[in-house]
Amino acid sequence: MRYHALSDLRVVDLTHFIAGPYATKLLGDMGADIVKVEPPWGEGGRKLGPRRAGVEDRGGLFAFLNLNKRGVTLNLKHERGRELLASLLDDADLLIESFAPGTLAALGLAPDELIPKFPKLSVISISNFGQDGPERDGKLNDLVLFARGGWTFPVGEPGREPLTPPGSLAQYVAALYGAVAAMQAIAARDLGLGHGQHIDVSILEATVATMIYETVTFQYSGILRNRAGKRFAVGPFLIVTLKCKDGYAGLHCVTDKQFEGLCDLMGRRELASDPRFNTALNRMLNNDAILEIVEEFFIGRERKWLYREGQRRAIPLVPIPSVAELLEWEQTRARNYFEAIDDPVLGRIRVPGTPLRLTSHRGEASRPAPQLGEHNREIFGERLGLSDSALETLKRAGTI
Amino acid sequence: MNSIFDGKLRVLDISMGWAGPLVGQMFAEMDAEVIKVEDTHHFDWWRGSLSMAPPEMQPIERAAVFNTANRGKRGVTLDLASVRGIEILKRLIEVSDILIENFSPGVMDRLGLAYEAVRAINPRLIMISMPSFGSDGPESNARGYGNTVEAMAGVTGLTGYHDGDGQRYTLSNALGDPVGGLHGVFALMVALRERERSGRGQLIELAQVESLIPFVADAMLDFQFTGKVPAVRGNRHREHAPHGIYRCAGDDNWIALACESDEQWRSLADALGIDDQRFAIASDRKANEDALDAELSRAIANLSADDCVARLRDADVLVAPVNSAPAVMADPQIQGREYFVAIDRAVVGTHLYPGAVARLPDTPLRADTPAPLLGEHNRQVFADLLAMTDEEITELERSGVIGSSPRQ
Repeated sequence: MRYHALSDLRVVDLTHFIAGPYATKLLGDMGADIVKVEPPWGEGGRKLGPRRAGVEDRGGLFAFLNLNKRGVTLNLKHERGRELLASLLDDADLLIESFAPGTLAALGLAPDELIPKFPKLSVISISNFGQDGPERDGKLNDLVLFARGGWTFPVGEPGREPLTPPGSLAQYVAALYGAVAAMQAIAARDLGLGHGQHIDVSILEATVATMIYETVTFQYSGILRNRAGKRFAVGPFLIVTLKCKDGYAGLHCVTDKQFEGLCDLMGRRELASDPRFNTALNRMLNNDAILEIVEEFFIGRERKWLYREGQRRAIPLVPIPSVAELLEWEQTRARNYFEAIDDPVLGRIRVPGTPLRLTSHRGEASRPAPQLGEHNREIFGERLGLSDSALETLKRAGTI
Repeated sequence: MNSIFDGKLRVLDISMGWAGPLVGQMFAEMDAEVIKVEDTHHFDWWRGSLSMAPPEMQPIERAAVFNTANRGKRGVTLDLASVRGIEILKRLIEVSDILIENFSPGVMDRLGLAYEAVRAINPRLIMISMPSFGSDGPESNARGYGNTVEAMAGVTGLTGYHDGDGQRYTLSNALGDPVGGLHGVFALMVALRERERSGRGQLIELAQVESLIPFVADAMLDFQFTGKVPAVRGNRHREHAPHGIYRCAGDDNWIALACESDEQWRSLADALGIDDQRFAIASDRKANEDALDAELSRAIANLSADDCVARLRDADVLVAPVNSAPAVMADPQIQGREYFVAIDRAVVGTHLYPGAVARLPDTPLRADTPAPLLGEHNRQVFADLLAMTDEEITELERSGVIGSSPRQ
């Protein structure tokens, strides 16, 4: 889904893989004009899985992360390539990039030199470790990022190795910080600064930012939060992933009221006044005992029943879906959340829609992710005024 | 000007927990004036429970998470069950730019503060509602928090050991909350820009679950392409091996490492003294991953994590220690960029808190102002913004409409 709220913003997008492209997608979903600039051989994220059988050069994730963008190619190692980039920057509000620090400078495109040349431009750099610091040039993937940033240590069974979170979740968190930073740059410029700035977003710091249960709580209590198995933690609450008859249920039982509701759900109202469980403090001290009772109850019940009966008692209790079930969840269906995209290569795919519902605008259908160089003619020809023969020359030279 | 809003934007934050308060906190980082309103009876549940310590210990002022998510705000209290409490809240709405709420569905209606009513008071105000599953649809009334949102977004179903007993796990950071909050900040920044153009405020609805689902788009597309729900992979990777977490010498010390090419494998094998032709080629390593992991576990078991990480970094392998909280804070890169900020807060003293993530050189974000005590700024806010006299404020205290200690 695409809104028009930011239709007056022009973004030159030099990002690749996940964090950068999701940041610019968020802006594109809000209507910003995103020109995705790739090298003539395509950005690395084009081939990221999952892949449809028989399609090698366009992964499913690329088709999702690059909705609502137009795509051009430029070889920035060619002088003419850099000149064309400069022409694009002439009327751009934002340059968003995710190269290794120093890459732009090595190309003669150092952000601190671009900004005086293009005063209304801000540059947002999203990088693994930030633009400075003793280890800014280290290597990173999701496994290593989660481990280093603290997400992994407290997850999993106490007797086993820590369990890494799935997928690339932290990259998306960094993308959000990047998208917010882009809006902050625009707000600062328009509210008084009058000019752009170079903003530095570190994916590692974005990852650490969400770990407040660990980093701050540890200092307060001196207690190291460790792996608590199926529980979120051992505390004055019961936040837990429970097996039930036909899958899993997620329970969030924190307040006295929620605990009374849970006792009622289990037909064990006496537990609410049981001296082992009657206060938050006692529920922390006797957490194993209450967990055992709850587990035994859940394993014999079906998810739907637990969901209905739990919520009826105002307990945040949910039936945990698989990704397949999620696509069919009646709540997302009723809200038309998933969007069907007719991708030119992958065919019809269903992808998550934009989570933001602005009442000021009506959304319209998303534009599929660009094919490599798909909008070269439209952007270089129509916008920058290059002739067909000039485009042909650039193509032959390998610049586009 | 050396801040984005220079105190000229006013945000009224009546939310609780993490997702909503994070929105307010990030506006405080931008130097908006953020007023946190708590109910005198039902104060923010993230302050924890009164039963956790004797009253003289002020247990609800000792919640690390509350004190993090509410930094930089001024704190006031209002009895929202009373007519006067609601009347004062409406006067605050009249003079604010943004209203953040994340009550359970229906509560704002019951308070007489549905968006239509709010707009009638202040048409320029932007209101954000952050229900867990959405304000319409058959399950709009369902309750959820960070972890339940994480579960419903499909994350929990993907979190498990590759060789476990089928158990699924919740992450450790209630991911649905910070992700909902970050989307909220983004949405409000968009709406503020829109207001510059139109002069009008609006209602933004943000279903927290919908903001987290995109993070598992990868698995959803995998299902659409193959017809199969992807198996939980634990610490392993779809294609690469090794890709795992291995125990080092000591009590509970682990490292994460991965090789994405044969070349990386060769340098890892050299660094750890492994000479085994079964693992030379990527496809063989993936096919024999159990044996590979056993071999690596043996090679690493007697090394210290520091030694192991140093050796493998030199060998250009993807590697990191599995950091616990103090290790995260001691990470050389985290320290080198001075990411954490020290704050001295009443009742609890000085601690380090995560700083603002984005570094804006010309309008730096400020994350180093403490969270308010319950009702700490009642006098200041009601006098400054609503021109109340000392006598009026004292009368409100006496009648229990405002207060600075929790009421049961």
